[in-house]
Formats: sequence, structure tokens, C-alpha cells
Amino acid sequence: MSSQHAQHRLAAYSTPLILSAILLAFVAFVVILGDKALARTAAETLVRVTLVVGLWIFVGNSGVISFGHAGYMAIGAYCSAWLTLKPQSKALFLPDLPPWLMDAQWPVLPAAIASGLLAALVALLSGAAILRLSGIAASIATFAFLAIVNTVYSNWEGVTGATSSVVGLTRYVDHWVALAWAVAAIVAANLYANSASGLALRATREDEVAAKASGIDMYRHRLWSLVISAFFTGISGALLGHSIGVLNPDSFYLGITFISLAMLVVGGIGSLSGAVIGVLLLSLLIELLVRAERGITIGATQFALPSGSQEILIGVAMIFVLILRPAGLTGGREFKLRLTLPRIPLSQEPTSTN
Amino acid sequence: MSKLGVFDISVRYGKVPAISDLTFHLEEGERVFISGPNGAGKSSFLNAICGKVPTSHGRIEMDGDLLTGRSPEAIARLGLSMVPEGREIFGSLTVEENLRVGTGIRQDAQAIETDIEEIFAAFPILGERRRAAAGALSGGQQQMLAIGRALMTNPKLMMVDEPSLGLAPKIVDQVYDTLAALQEERGLTLLIVEQSSLRAARVGGRMVLMRGGRIVGEGNAADMADRDALAQAYFGNSHPEPEAVA
Repeated sequence: MSSQHAQHRLAAYSTPLILSAILLAFVAFVVILGDKALARTAAETLVRVTLVVGLWIFVGNSGVISFGHAGYMAIGAYCSAWLTLKPQSKALFLPDLPPWLMDAQWPVLPAAIASGLLAALVALLSGAAILRLSGIAASIATFAFLAIVNTVYSNWEGVTGATSSVVGLTRYVDHWVALAWAVAAIVAANLYANSASGLALRATREDEVAAKASGIDMYRHRLWSLVISAFFTGISGALLGHSIGVLNPDSFYLGITFISLAMLVVGGIGSLSGAVIGVLLLSLLIELLVRAERGITIGATQFALPSGSQEILIGVAMIFVLILRPAGLTGGREFKLRLTLPRIPLSQEPTSTN
Repeated sequence: MSKLGVFDISVRYGKVPAISDLTFHLEEGERVFISGPNGAGKSSFLNAICGKVPTSHGRIEMDGDLLTGRSPEAIARLGLSMVPEGREIFGSLTVEENLRVGTGIRQDAQAIETDIEEIFAAFPILGERRRAAAGALSGGQQQMLAIGRALMTNPKLMMVDEPSLGLAPKIVDQVYDTLAALQEERGLTLLIVEQSSLRAARVGGRMVLMRGGRIVGEGNAADMADRDALAQAYFGNSHPEPEAVA
């Protein structure tokens, strides 16, 4: 019985391995092709993996849809800018920063971690209020949170540059850096989902009343998952800033909220594998549509989709998935290795399969 | 001091009274059946004890601790476990995960593993399907799982709301055999809602009859299966059964 238990644990922990392998294969493919533009798209895609996996830690386990995560992303992105920009540029663009922040010039990795921590702290405070609500009311409150963050960052001229963009961020995030963070997010998400708190939260997603009758403090587990979730979402914001080099509050508003939720829904909200697959598939679709909008030449004729068809077609894709597979493409299931330890003892595991 | 003391409680849904001035005591290790017609307030009574619905009046104590005003999760932590009507298992979680959900309030990690194996020993079918989604189990298996999950919180008092609902008679027998055996083993105190007084009489214990939000009769389950008392609870005094008149 205990070996069966260990086997099950192993199968559960094989999910991040498989997902990381898929992402590694994706990066390897891009590197082999050697296309610079494609490498940048790959880096952006992997940043989105960090974002959507971060989002999934809360939404997937609690079942509460959050419209506020772009807010945590903005908080992380600007935090990293404050910590890493050259003091001269800060004096120019962000004159109202406090002196200690004005002089700060952190290395990028501690700055990224600090960005995640700041987002997590804000999540702790905002979540303490929002998560007292349940169901749809909580979702609407997360949206209100997003609107508040956007308004503050769009108007706090001397600290965020308001609607004029902050430029000059080190563009250190290439596909390898983005891959490393995406894998870290996946591992953390898997550990959380299999923890006692993750299990308790999934139980409340199924049935609040029965979960409470089993002694589960729903509020505490929801808050805990939101804090972990915001940490990775904040880091994804920092990564996005350092991959395109420019920050603007509206990059962290409705557009990214819609895309990240669409990815989660298409892939399947119920599983971590769904979150990752959703990002990969929709990123591919977006890339194809962007190219189609720019114009494709087939033979002698050139045709281009009208601009804006990208958003419309993603919406259509989401509707189709919701109709045909309401639980998403993965249907809430995880990729797992099925190991059969009792039949094949570890010591005699075949080394080749031919 | 009794295990559970219910003093003069009332429950209302808006203006509609569900329970009126009800007083009830349960002794350590006892098995009590609550019976009565639909709308008698049986489920409201259980829900009031476990904190799911608020009482408008009166107080409830377990082992001297006041339960009134506490949240359902806080009451569960005190050692009171409820198997709700309609079973309410977590359908997309596996059988084993369902059992683990109940252990969140415990600190003894080693004992949890032993207890899970014990549950699987008591309900072998659950052990066979430990990795299956709980929603794919049959009604009887789900009932076993709901009981198993309630046991995983290590309760001192367990309440079961209509375990026989929607189950074949043979399966109901199994459920009650298991409950009786578990009670014997663990020294549990059991409070069970059961519509069928004959079933209660067969399993044995004390029986409480409810009607219109009040307790209208009480006694040994075997004696209570007697027609007069039941007819009075179910139909009231205004429409006596022919036999009762004669």
C-alpha cells in the first residue's frame, strides 16, 4: 500500500517535469531555428506562462475568477523599474521617488524577487478585504482592485511617469531567463496544489458548505493562495518590463486581463497543464494572426486581415472552446507519468526500449 | 454533564419558524435517531448544531463548550463532524483526496496515514477506487465516502443526515452495520436522522420523534416503532388512526 502511495506522489510530481520538458523543447526549437524575432516571441510567451501559471495558483484552486491580477503585474513591473533603472533616468522620468529608491541600483534578480514580494504584500492587504466576499462578488471586487491600481499608476506622475511611458529598462529577459522563471512558477504551482492548503482550497471549489463542515477555514486558504499567486504574477510583470524595455500602465489593464483569462479558459482552468497548454496554443494563434494582419503573400496575391481581427478571433476561439469543451482542452486533467513500480522493480528498469 | 446539550433553541428562516424552543440532551457513546415527517425540522436541527444555520434563541453546548455563534469550521475543530444530507462529496477530487480534506485540522501526520488505511479496511470498495474521481462512485459508495471523510476529522460526535436517502435497502443495511461497528470501535456518539422508524428499531438506540419543529415523543427505538406514537407524530391527534380509536 505504501509503495502505491509513493507511486501516486511520484505521478503527481511528474506533471511539472513534463510541462518543463515541453517548454524546454519549445525553447530548443526556437534556438535551432535561430530567428531573432521568433526568439523574442518565445520569451514573451514564456513570460505569459509565468503570468498564467501564477494566476492559476489562485483561480484554478479556489474557483474564484480574478480580474485583478494585471494589477499585481503592474505593481511588480514598476517595482523592478524603480530598483534597476539608472539614477539619472529616474531623476529625469520619476523625480518624486524617495531618495533611497532614487539611488537604488539593484542587480536584476534580487529586483525581480523584490517585485514579487511587493505584489504578494499588496495581495495580502487587498485580499484580506476582497476574499471576505464570496463567489461573483469577490470577482467583481478584484476588478475594482485592478481599476484602482490602474488609476493610481496612471496619475502618480512623479513616481510612475503616469501615462507617459517609462523607458530604458535593461532588456535582460531572453528566452532562457523567461524559461527559468516559467519552470519555477510551474514547480511552485504544483507544490501548492498538492499541499494540504491546496487540497483544502480545491475542496471549497467543489462545495463550500461541505468543506466548511470538514473544518476548512476557506478564507485563510484563499488568502494564502492569492499571496503565492501574486508573487509570481508580480514577477511576470517585472519580466515583461525587462523583455520589452518600456512600461506603461495600460499594458497592465484590460488587454492582458482578457488574454490571460482566455488562455486559462481555453487550456482548462482546472489543471496546471491546462494553464500552460492554453498559453502555448493561444500565443501561437496570436502570432499567426499578427502575421496575417501584417499581410501574407500566397503566390502572386497578397492579402491581409483587417487590424483588430486578432482580438475578435481569439474571442471566437474562446467561445468555441467553451461550447465544445466547457472544462477547457485538458478538461481539468494533468499530464502525468504512469509509473508501474510493482511490475518493474527500479533496479531492473530497462535501459533501452528496442 | 451530557455530551451534547441543546437548551431551548429556536431556528427561523425569515418569518417561518423551523424549530421552536427545543431542548435535547445526548449522552456520551449514545446512538440517537431523529425521526418525523417531512418539514418536522430534523435537518434544521442538525444544521443548527453544526453551525450551518444560526439559532434565533437558546444555546448549544458540547462537552461544556458553547457551540452557539461559532462558525461551522470552528465547530468541526471541536470534534463534531457532520455527514450532510445528499452526501455532498467533492466530485472532482479523488476518493483519497476527499478523505484527506477532513484531516486539515489535525496535527498527527503519521496517524492520518493509518486512519486512511483503516477507512479503506472498513470500506474495501473505497480502497480499490482510491485514485478514482469521487463523482464516479455509486450512491452507496459516495455515502460510505462521506462517512469516511467525516471520520477522518477524528470526531467525538458524528451527525448523519438521512444516510438511507436514495439508497437500495441492502446498501442501507451495510451503511448501518458499518456505522454501528465504527461506533463500537471508536466510542463515537452518533446522532442520525432516519425517516424509517422500523429501520431505527432494527439498528437500535434511542429515538426522538419531531413534528412541527418540536420534539413530540421519545423512547427506545424498538418500542417507538409502535404504531400509536408514530401515527400521532406523523398525522397529529386530529386524525386518529382507526386502530387507535378502537
